[in-house]
Amino acid sequence: MPHVAHPAFLVLGAYATYALVGLGMDPLLAGLLLMPVFFAFGIAVYQFYYLTFERRGTDLGVRGIAFFFGIAFIVQVGLILVFGVDQRMVEASYIGTSIEVFGDVRIPQRMIVAFGVALALTITLALYLSRTFTGRAIKAVAQDEGALRLMGADPVRIKRWAFGIATGTCALAGALLIIVGPVDPNLDRLYIGRTFCVVVLAGMGSMSGTLVAGLILGVAESLVLASVGTAWAPAVAFGILLAVLGVRPAGLFGR
Amino acid sequence: MALELEILGIHAGYGAVRALQGVSMQVRDGETVALLGTNGNGKSTLMKCVMGNVRPTSGQILLKLDGVPHDLTRLSTEEIVGLGVALVPEGRRLFPRLTVEENLLLGAFRREARPHIAKNLELCYETFSVLKERRRQLAGSMSGGQQQMLAIARALMSSPKLLLVDEPSVGLSPLLVSNTVTMIKQLKEKHGLTVLMAEQNFHQAIRIADRGYLIVHGEIVFEGRTVEELEHNDMVKNYYLGTA
Ligand SMILES: Nc1ncnc2c1ncn2[C@@H]1O[C@H](COP(=O)(O)OP(=O)(O)O)[C@@H](O)[C@H]1O
Ligand SMILES: [Mg+2]
Repeated sequence: MPHVAHPAFLVLGAYATYALVGLGMDPLLAGLLLMPVFFAFGIAVYQFYYLTFERRGTDLGVRGIAFFFGIAFIVQVGLILVFGVDQRMVEASYIGTSIEVFGDVRIPQRMIVAFGVALALTITLALYLSRTFTGRAIKAVAQDEGALRLMGADPVRIKRWAFGIATGTCALAGALLIIVGPVDPNLDRLYIGRTFCVVVLAGMGSMSGTLVAGLILGVAESLVLASVGTAWAPAVAFGILLAVLGVRPAGLFGR
Repeated sequence: MALELEILGIHAGYGAVRALQGVSMQVRDGETVALLGTNGNGKSTLMKCVMGNVRPTSGQILLKLDGVPHDLTRLSTEEIVGLGVALVPEGRRLFPRLTVEENLLLGAFRREARPHIAKNLELCYETFSVLKERRRQLAGSMSGGQQQMLAIARALMSSPKLLLVDEPSVGLSPLLVSNTVTMIKQLKEKHGLTVLMAEQNFHQAIRIADRGYLIVHGEIVFEGRTVEELEHNDMVKNYYLGTA
């Protein structure tokens, strides 16, 4: 079941960060503090989904996706009503400065911060998924709910928890998003394509594959951006997506 | 700890299909009981009823632990597992895209099993050395026989008091079937397990069973108090071995 509202929660995380920065807080700190709030929000959204769709068995096929599209739409419209359609950005000491690497190659400091935090977040998640009982159950629940039940775990509880964690990471990831560049309420559309691209490229459930796929997409988008032009950048994700589906549907790292 | 499983007149089905029609049986402490029957007679349904996966429309399933009865028809699968009942399901139901070791650790999910993980893991690897060699390999990439071993080992990771095994022989070569059954026997003796095993393969089942039941069309048609009684029963020969 693809959770198509995830990118909308990411943008929501960026705007929530923006709001806290407006009160004088550092964006990274804001992202961290927002994580438990988003976790609780994710739990609530899943519980609502479970009670209204999944428990009645009406989550199959397109209806489940429609639910999350609806949520994404509500978030988007909510953001437009509160913040308007203009782009928003934040200020911090590490935004707007750059570090000289060698010669005249300079890397913006905000990119280094975002990369470092994103990497730390990914590693933490990977460790959580492989080292804890709940983490392993999260990986298992996508493969066979009935079998997981035979292990003594309640699949609904596990899925609710997983949804909470996924939404919680949107807070910090959203902070990184607005640190890296300006955001607007419609940005999530771009990320739906990117998310599908990365997941398909990586193969479902491969954490290291996801990391590499993200890098591939990022580099490909930058190359197109620099050589062909800005307008074509959003087409990169779908281009890769179609190519991978045609050539290797299991993904590059699919197993 | 004294354990007894008592199944009393259960009826169960799937919509219009009536799979079990008044089944009663007992499994007592330390016994290995065989549930014999050819394909489609209700063996798996009975296992699913005990695990709370299928709800009987009537009847009781009592698990008595130290004299305290628990009605399994009123408990969730998670609660039943929590009481110390483990099922090696039909078709194994491994997590194919997780490693062998991750599968085993999931077997130890229930709280009571977690303190014994190190000991149980060592025991599993000792009994099934191939699982140790392949512990970082994905479960789905192993052969059928190895997957069956993993399914049994995963159930043992939960430190079960009552082990249900549903057709361990399906899809395995005769030699592997024999090995698997021998393994269950050894494990049972080592752990003092109580075992209920559903099996089509009569000759393998009676190698380890103390006694057994014959199920035909959702009804127990014969109860053999010993393996000899089963072997010499006309109904077993007729319905089951086709040699009467
Ligand atoms: N999920 C199901 N839906 C409908 N009918 C089923 C289902 N599972 C089993 N049955 C039917 O219930 C009866 C008993 O099946 P089962 O318990 O699987 O038998 P066995 O394990 O002895 O082969 C069969 O007639 C089978 O077709
Ligand atoms: Mg069966």
